[in-house]
Amino acid sequence: MASIRISAYTDQLSVKAGDTLNVMASADATESVRAQLVRLIHGDQHPDGPGFIEQIVSSPIDRDWPVRKQYIQKGNFLRVADVAGKLAPTGAFTLHAYIFPTTPDAGRQMLLGRWSVDGTAGYGIGINPSGRLEFWVGDGTAADAVAAEVKLIARVWYFVAASFDPATGVATIYQEPVINRYNSLLSKIVPYDYRSHVSETLRARPSVPADTGFLIGGATERNPARGAFVGQCYNGKIDRCGLQSGVLERTTLDAIRDGGTPEHKNIIAYWDTTAGYNPRGIGDTVLDKGPHQLHAEGYNRPVRAQTGWNWNGRNDCFRLAPEEYGGIEFHADALIDCKWQPTLSLTIPSDLRSGVYAVKLTCDEAEEYTPFVVRPVAPKAAICFVVPTASYLAYANISGALDSPAQAVHGATSIFDEVDVEAYKNNIEFGLSTYDLHDDGAGVCYSSWRRPIINLRPKYRTPGVGPWQFAADLSIVGWLEAMKYEYEVITDEDLHREGLAALKPYRVVLNATHNEYYSEKMLDATEDYLAQGGRLLYLGANAYYWCIGFRDDEPWVMEVRRPEGGTRAWQAGPGEHHLASTGERGGLWRHRGRPPQKLVGVGFTSEGMDQSVPYRRMPDSYHRAVAWVFAGIEYDIFGNTGLGLGGAAGIEIDRYDLSLGTPPHARILAMSEPFTDNYPLVQEEIFFMTPGLGGTQHPYVRADMVYFTTPNNGAVFSTGSIAWGSALPVGNFANSISRLTKNVVDAFMAAGPLPGGA
Amino acid sequence: MTAPTESTPQAIVGRRRIVPALRGHGGASWHRWRYPLTRRTPLLIETDYNRTTLAAERRILNPRPVLWTVALLILSFAPPLFGDNSFVAASTNFAMYSAINVIWMLTIGTAGIFSLASLATVGVGAFGTAYLSVYFGFPFWAMWLVGPLFGLVFGIFIAVPAIRLEGFYYALLTVGIAELCRVYVIQSKTLGAAAYGLFGADGFVPKGMPEHEGLVIGYYAAFVLLLLALTLYRAINGQRLGRLLRAAPEKHEAFAEALGINYRLARIQVFLISSAALGGVGGFYATLLHGASPSLFTMDQLLLLLAMIVIGGIGTTEGAVLGTLIVTLFDKVFIDLGPVRLILIAGIMLITVLFLRGGIFGIPDQFAAWRAKRQSERRGLQSGKGGEIMPEDAIEIADKQSIAVRRFDARLKEELRGLISDALIEEHRTTHGKRRSDPLERVLTFFRRQAVADKYAILAVKAFAEYRIVALSGRRGVPPRVVDDQVFATPEDALHGVFVKRVQDLMES
Repeated sequence: MASIRISAYTDQLSVKAGDTLNVMASADATESVRAQLVRLIHGDQHPDGPGFIEQIVSSPIDRDWPVRKQYIQKGNFLRVADVAGKLAPTGAFTLHAYIFPTTPDAGRQMLLGRWSVDGTAGYGIGINPSGRLEFWVGDGTAADAVAAEVKLIARVWYFVAASFDPATGVATIYQEPVINRYNSLLSKIVPYDYRSHVSETLRARPSVPADTGFLIGGATERNPARGAFVGQCYNGKIDRCGLQSGVLERTTLDAIRDGGTPEHKNIIAYWDTTAGYNPRGIGDTVLDKGPHQLHAEGYNRPVRAQTGWNWNGRNDCFRLAPEEYGGIEFHADALIDCKWQPTLSLTIPSDLRSGVYAVKLTCDEAEEYTPFVVRPVAPKAAICFVVPTASYLAYANISGALDSPAQAVHGATSIFDEVDVEAYKNNIEFGLSTYDLHDDGAGVCYSSWRRPIINLRPKYRTPGVGPWQFAADLSIVGWLEAMKYEYEVITDEDLHREGLAALKPYRVVLNATHNEYYSEKMLDATEDYLAQGGRLLYLGANAYYWCIGFRDDEPWVMEVRRPEGGTRAWQAGPGEHHLASTGERGGLWRHRGRPPQKLVGVGFTSEGMDQSVPYRRMPDSYHRAVAWVFAGIEYDIFGNTGLGLGGAAGIEIDRYDLSLGTPPHARILAMSEPFTDNYPLVQEEIFFMTPGLGGTQHPYVRADMVYFTTPNNGAVFSTGSIAWGSALPVGNFANSISRLTKNVVDAFMAAGPLPGGA
Repeated sequence: MTAPTESTPQAIVGRRRIVPALRGHGGASWHRWRYPLTRRTPLLIETDYNRTTLAAERRILNPRPVLWTVALLILSFAPPLFGDNSFVAASTNFAMYSAINVIWMLTIGTAGIFSLASLATVGVGAFGTAYLSVYFGFPFWAMWLVGPLFGLVFGIFIAVPAIRLEGFYYALLTVGIAELCRVYVIQSKTLGAAAYGLFGADGFVPKGMPEHEGLVIGYYAAFVLLLLALTLYRAINGQRLGRLLRAAPEKHEAFAEALGINYRLARIQVFLISSAALGGVGGFYATLLHGASPSLFTMDQLLLLLAMIVIGGIGTTEGAVLGTLIVTLFDKVFIDLGPVRLILIAGIMLITVLFLRGGIFGIPDQFAAWRAKRQSERRGLQSGKGGEIMPEDAIEIADKQSIAVRRFDARLKEELRGLISDALIEEHRTTHGKRRSDPLERVLTFFRRQAVADKYAILAVKAFAEYRIVALSGRRGVPPRVVDDQVFATPEDALHGVFVKRVQDLMES
């Protein structure tokens, strides 16, 4: 018997009373699931903590719901809505494109055309299983093809074309390299002859089924269980491409190869991938400059703002030279939106208090939680907890530990859960995180919540780390509950959309353990909040680190680019450092003049996942301005327990640095005890490589607890450690870390000047 | 450590270039010609980049069409032009026996039925048509037409036992049937018991034609017969029936059947088709020799035929034809040698059976396999040198950095092995979550840095209760595998379990 498996996601992560939340679920081996609304209190099941705590909230969804298997369309492609059938030429025609294949040996891949895989009908140009460019036609029963003579070399720009004359049956392949000094992996010094010009007389004539649309980067397939879908997806880039009537002469094609624009009289469609840029980025529509305006729509966010075939290394952004940024990057394993049908809907009741909730789906032993946040309609509480959903997206479905050298990063052997293995062996069915690489080695720059996210689950422990992100952040939620604070919850999405207005109603804002990914609006909101007298507890580390972008029309998709600096899982290509979503330069905020130190006094300095350590109180903490923080803390060394590697300081850590903008009046209240060498100094701090960059030898490898005041009685308290949050629940929330945090929250909640007269 | 002055003598590796390669077409336009009404191009040409020079080189993947064209061209003019009468007669014999062997190859090779009644089928066709000609006045063309009927009927008769008997037993049975036929014809007065053969049938060589011209016509007729046999072979073996049977090779019949392939029916069909064709050859034989001789049924003829296909190699037409050529050469052309030539044939056959696996045409494959074996043996001998990559391995590795990494790792492992002690292992067990000594950190850093494939990790079967050691696949989508039956109660125990395993691997490497 097949084992039951339930996977689900919600269409929103942040809702308030009156909103309708849709839950999309797919299930194997069952046709019915039980749904419940639960309030999540604590996640991590580490025996030193309170364990998993949820409160069932009665709601109309509390019953069995019918559920079925739902499929996922992965892969990037462009779809052309060709209502008038202009792209089913009856006479001779020519297809052409600039291409930069990245996995030419990965099986059949479609470049452009109308091809029905199951129907053996249509026409198209693509890459055949031997890695050669091929043009093929099918008449519904038989296919015929002509292939180029030599294989395509990966990561080299080509101009390719194929023409076909149904009167004679002659099909001609045109393949020429368009390598310059910058655009390809290999230089002209390599003695490859990339050219190929082959013609053959084909037996079949294309017949194009009406239900097989024109696709760039994919072909139409059908399967009895699943229906129509797109297969044979392509890995690599495609720059300006089109369909022209007639058989274009070689000299005509040579002119396009050399950068000429196709002659207008022949154009049936010409997708100008460089058109549509504006200083704030570009969307998913690829404009057709031909007479019929057959614009193409991207699926699963093909990556735009990428260098094109004619990129010459001088311009580093599409804003400077859009004509050099025609490259659209396609990945066969990209996934942005599962587009499942809703299984059930929940209207958020008006009496539901703000907090972290989930729809819990169960069937026998199988269970699934789809977490979301209920924010208040009108803020009342003094405390606001910001759930870092943007950072959750960055790590969503990270499979790195299973196929990358994560053990070396963690400094520990990875401990997997069955759910990791299950998702992995199902071909990473729910897509990748921005820490993973696509199959062709390119970094993943988009992540979305419209898909099941296996590590955005309350009980999840991250391989090699333990409590991390959502599950770790629930320790802060559990602590707020245990301390009986009145608090409200918002998400990064709210912060990005509403800016300062989202934070302003609150006297105290608590950040989570690891709010690493920040959009400009989020960063501005936090800065403005502090400047106008807000008080912030930054209970984590490595925050305000990466610049990210959202598009207003699709707030569920986050974009990150990883240029030369920073502790990063991959390296963005040359000239591809700007976000297609916003037009900003991606990378570390530090490299755009906004290091985290400037905002919260500390910034990322090291990480390691072998052990956490206690803090040691620093001399500055005895000043009357700050001594109140330590009320009730008996020892100089404190925080030697925790669910996160056995201490309060660790996992990822932050450091005070005046040269990076730590406010001059900030005080280091406490500092971590020494770390092991598995905590090396971060890459962005290293200019010359020297030995001794590990925790036992380098003074910068430490977590600093920092406090400073801001204008209008505002203040910042930073812990400098991800493990802090997971240290709160130890001993049923009665420990030194809990006490210290409570001292600060209590002080921050009180209106008027801060204690200590500072 | 190797002293800097010491150097290990190494043989130069890399394959010598024997045939110069054709360059690719590059920027030139290349119209690929196809056989009309097919998708086939005349030659399977593949152009690929040479790994050493990166030049695009054209290779013919299947050179057989070229060899056949050359061979058939020579056969089409050489024997009549350069040979005397006896040579032409021998050539005629060669062409006819080649035709028989090619058709027989359908039975033995394609259908996999080990029938030794091929010559007997020819004999039945020959005697049948000769009989019709002698007693009923059938002209030569009618004999050609009815020949296949005799073959088919005889084929049906001997196909029945093929359903039940297999391999060796069926072969014995067919030998018995051939012998039965021989005894019948030498005792039957109607079939010429007195004259040792039934003669007087019609022939296709016009009467009164000079001997040489008559022989030449006979040769060309036999040559056409060979072409027809080759066409038949191609039509059966290269099309649906042949493909069905290739999908059901020996010992995989049940699998093919499960896929819906009726391999029995296909075998019988091929057998009957080849029987009819052999009957047709029988008709040709009768018109060529104006009758039929009981020698067609004799054991010595059968054995000569067997020698032909064994020498050439069972399963290919070129093997059948080359084998026939060699045997005919000894049997008919070197006739002056006397009985010794038969011993020579036996000798060649013996050598073929003893030293060649697929006859003469199997030599290239056999040579390649032998060379691969020699290479792996050499590698085996070199493994004593610390598992370093040898020059013959290096040329097969595309990413040369992996050679450097392996060499580096081998040296580092050697160094780390010196650090391993019971005390170190105990330190690891007792210092979880604490600072560790420098030697232990060095060992751990090496372990953690290892490539993902086969790297140990831990699976939480039940969080905080049950942990097991797994090994990562290193291939995306392939899940880790459980490596042993150890179960650990805590993550710390499991982490130490992994450490112990890694230490074991390090010490054994």
